[in-house]
Amino acid sequence: MLDITNLRKVFPKEAGEMVAIDDFSLAVQNGEFVCLLGPSGCGKTTVLRIIAGLETLTSGTIQLDGRDVVNSGPDRGMVFQEFALFPWRTVRKNVEFGLEIKGVSAAERKTIGQKYIDLVGLNGFEEYLPKKLSGGMKQRVGIARALANNPEILLMDEPFGALDAQTRNQMQKELLRIWSETKKTVVFVTHSVDEAVYLADRVVVLTARPSRIKEIFKIEQPRPRDRANPEFIALRKQILAELEEESAQAPKLV
Amino acid sequence: MSDGKKQENGKSFFERLQDPSMLRTLFLTIISLVAFLIIWQLASDWLNLAYLPPPGRVWDALVLSFQVPDPTLGTTMGQNIVASLRRFLVGFALALIVAIPVGLVMGFSRTLNDLLRPIVEIFRPIPPIAWVPILFVAFSYIWGPVLAITIGAFFPIVTSVSFGVRSVEPIYYDAARTQGAGRMAIFEKVVIPFTLPYMMTGIRIALGVAWMCIIAAEMIMAVGGGIGYYIWYYGFNGPYDNFFAGVIVLAVLGIITVGLAEYAENYILKSRGMK
Repeated sequence: MLDITNLRKVFPKEAGEMVAIDDFSLAVQNGEFVCLLGPSGCGKTTVLRIIAGLETLTSGTIQLDGRDVVNSGPDRGMVFQEFALFPWRTVRKNVEFGLEIKGVSAAERKTIGQKYIDLVGLNGFEEYLPKKLSGGMKQRVGIARALANNPEILLMDEPFGALDAQTRNQMQKELLRIWSETKKTVVFVTHSVDEAVYLADRVVVLTARPSRIKEIFKIEQPRPRDRANPEFIALRKQILAELEEESAQAPKLV
Repeated sequence: MSDGKKQENGKSFFERLQDPSMLRTLFLTIISLVAFLIIWQLASDWLNLAYLPPPGRVWDALVLSFQVPDPTLGTTMGQNIVASLRRFLVGFALALIVAIPVGLVMGFSRTLNDLLRPIVEIFRPIPPIAWVPILFVAFSYIWGPVLAITIGAFFPIVTSVSFGVRSVEPIYYDAARTQGAGRMAIFEKVVIPFTLPYMMTGIRIALGVAWMCIIAAEMIMAVGGGIGYYIWYYGFNGPYDNFFAGVIVLAVLGIITVGLAEYAENYILKSRGMK
């Protein structure tokens, strides 16, 4: 279980300081799929980066299965919007990266790597370099790489934000399939209401800066969800209204 | 997709000649060289200066220099090339051995950068030729010339490598860290592979600089011959036919080594998915 209590993050600025996250508490159950949704420029990515250990927290605690999260580690797999694949490594070598770091033997690496390459549907592309892959395929590699370490939790930072609409929808379906097969806990950051309602067990709507939890929506519609379903549309409308209220308060610098 | 790659890279020189833009480049290159030779010939005829022999005489001197040992220096041009190439390669290898680690740590560690940077900056603007006499005294006539080349090649490599390390995009550090990589693992598995193309750029630039240093390196003496010494000697004493013959040899050596480095650089970039 991921347990975030009274998280606060302050960035120093030239004049004074900027409070990015304040009074943020959230408990995520094992196997749960949670989306963090917020107006652009709010601290949702920062929350994720703090959980990943890429950013320090100013105060509060984050615990994963009762242990304090202090640094980055392979128990929290991260998937990036920019994919962040190593361009000089083939698909296989990218997926095996974490196992290499852990010192897993070459033969075992290959077995584990292959399992996740197959899981994300990249069978046959093992020896490709990332530049030869489409955006959707790149992100499949990103997901396989994060899962290969068998993490407790999968952190996804707007993973489909750089993809076109069609690929995006397809990847959402794929992610749900992968999630149901691996039963991983997922914390997924997005600014798309539609994406959040389609994917999540719970949608956590954040306020504009500083990020607090504005409201949590539990989504109980069975999967696969139908975007044309009136219930889906109603919920999307309701969350969108919440979000727009926040965007209106965010500094007008867009 | 791998077939596509083959088509891209597997074209032979003659196949690529079918490409109109390639043909155009080749055509203009030939025009440029022919025009250069004509102007040289005309200038030599009109001015009739001892130090501007016509291309034909230079060519004769060049051919002869390969055929018989030089009457004054006692070596053939082939021997000069071998001797210089040996100095060049040893000096360049030494530069690589020292400059790559120095560049890597300067790029990676703030502290080491702050410690090493001032020293590098003090020595960088000093032309390698200034060190030659002292190098001869300190390291003898065998290692002195070699080290002059090392000094020339050192700085471009250090600069490119440390720049390469600082160019590693932060997202790669993030990705490696979330995969459980510590500082040393990141250095080995992210920084070094990322920096490789920058290293190749540094090497290409350094090759050019190092060939310029060969004259300085062999200025005082060159045991067993040397193309730098040959040029230096005939530049001072004439006949100038030999001076220009030496210049042509040096130019060709430079073009070949830099061309090879360029090819290797491109190949590495492509095969590592970075271009």
